[in-house]
Amino acid sequence: MRTLLQNNLVWLFFAGTVALSFTTDAYSQYLMNLVLVYVVIGQGLNLILGFAGMFAFAHGAFMGIGAYVSALLTAKLGVSLLVAMPAAGVAAAIVGALIGFPALRVSGLYLAMVTLGFSEIVQWGIKHWKSVTGGPDGVSVPAPVLFGHRFYGDYPTFYIVVVVALAMTLLAQAIIRSKLGRAFVAIRDSEIAAQCSGIKVARTKVLAFAISAFYAGIGGSLFSLTQSYITPENFGFYQTTLHFCIVIVGGAASLAGPIIGSIILTWLPEVLRNAQALQEIGYGLMLILFVIFAPRGIAGFLIDKGILPRERFSLRRPSLPGRSRPAPQEG
Amino acid sequence: MSSLLTVENVTVQFGGLVAVDKVSLTIAEGEIRGLIGPNGAGKTTLFNAISGLAPTRSGRMIFAGADVTALGAPDRAARGIRRTFQTVQLVQSMTVFENLLLGLHSRADNPLAALFVGHAVNARGATDPMATITRVLDYLDLAPRVDHLVSTLSIAEQRYVEIGQALVASPRLLMLDEPTAGLSPAQVARLDDLIARLPADWNVSIVLVEHVIPLVVKLCHRITVLDRGRVIAEGTGEQIENDPAVQEAYLGERLNA
Repeated sequence: MRTLLQNNLVWLFFAGTVALSFTTDAYSQYLMNLVLVYVVIGQGLNLILGFAGMFAFAHGAFMGIGAYVSALLTAKLGVSLLVAMPAAGVAAAIVGALIGFPALRVSGLYLAMVTLGFSEIVQWGIKHWKSVTGGPDGVSVPAPVLFGHRFYGDYPTFYIVVVVALAMTLLAQAIIRSKLGRAFVAIRDSEIAAQCSGIKVARTKVLAFAISAFYAGIGGSLFSLTQSYITPENFGFYQTTLHFCIVIVGGAASLAGPIIGSIILTWLPEVLRNAQALQEIGYGLMLILFVIFAPRGIAGFLIDKGILPRERFSLRRPSLPGRSRPAPQEG
Repeated sequence: MSSLLTVENVTVQFGGLVAVDKVSLTIAEGEIRGLIGPNGAGKTTLFNAISGLAPTRSGRMIFAGADVTALGAPDRAARGIRRTFQTVQLVQSMTVFENLLLGLHSRADNPLAALFVGHAVNARGATDPMATITRVLDYLDLAPRVDHLVSTLSIAEQRYVEIGQALVASPRLLMLDEPTAGLSPAQVARLDDLIARLPADWNVSIVLVEHVIPLVVKLCHRITVLDRGRVIAEGTGEQIENDPAVQEAYLGERLNA
């Protein structure tokens, strides 16, 4: 029973959100939509930060690119969301790959600096390209029309968000269990050893950037749906820090991590709403505490306790006669 | 025995330091070659040059009939040059099985199919990778450990996993960089026995860097001695042991006094 639960946590979580959606008021539904948006972005950031071990500090910008591409295509050109959302992801992925190439030359803190600088440029660009983006005033986001049905309001939006978030989470799981996911982890642990196993490090890193940015782009498109309008201020340093908190607090290099992190970091600001100043300090403090005392986050703790299963990096398992029971879980 | 790897006048230079100086050697098919020399002789750098990790300043390398001098490490790995490291380089948070799968990375799987069916589809219709992995696990007595995290294994077991990670790729050349470091005498004996059997069982040539000279003499068909980046002697164990240049390199002037 327990293994059955453990093996289907993804489905359980998403079934839970659907069940809860029958009990929520509009505002809690809006918060739940936000959680799911951040699940998408968190899974994407986790792929590059948690699994591939690269300090990409630009997901606010990738998210912004996705949100603006999606909102502008639907609002100004009347493009269907079925086209606009993938376009948002692809646009972010292309930009992600482009920033990935110069980023090959640096790692660690320097990579964080390069990507942070890049995201400031993107935010500046959105703010000043007024003829297209509307500048600081932002863009209003129309309710999408899909299959002749207008998805207006928090509940209809939920159905779009939950389907996309589920698909993106399953995709992240498929990536982690494929040779690509194993290559990410191998590069994180030792680039030299990875090369000697036949892994092309540069190519894999650029791919990590592109895929991760794709997730942020899709997340940005979803985010725009939850808002009536978007402004450049939505996609700044604060946003990127939030994404980092989601992955680090939730648990890097674990599929459950971004889900846990998204719930906590969407709920926490609500608790602290009367103390706005505490929010940003709170994020910073939380990041510091977790990095020092629990670098694998809440998910890492739950995996050590055997409550969550450890992350698997393969789809198939060998069928060997007389195979022993798996070792006690340890990370 | 035909030659598998030919290294011709290879030089590796780091700034002003010539770590490998015009080294030439030829490894035959099925051979176990020892590579010895005092600390700083350039053994590991030569390993790195052959695996494609250290950029060579001059010279060339022919592997299995093709010039691989310009190829990077991943391409050489794909052609069958595999190695282990002085300190074990496995992904500690993965199981034995998952680490072995890493060794299969160069297989020409359809990338999209690989995303959804693992390694089931192979473009060239080669042997089932699962069969290879099972064979390697059995050969190395690792089958009972297949689902264990590498971090829970002993150093000796981790060294076997590292050898297994190379073997699953059916390498032509396997380079072992001090595989017995940190092992007990009993474990060393068992590993020696394994290395001696590898060429016949897996159709692979071995290059072995080792500090324990008697062990190298016992295992290797031929031995190459490096000192300060140069080859100072090459021959059978007996020839090497009696070579005055080798004795001087290891024991210094004292022997001559």
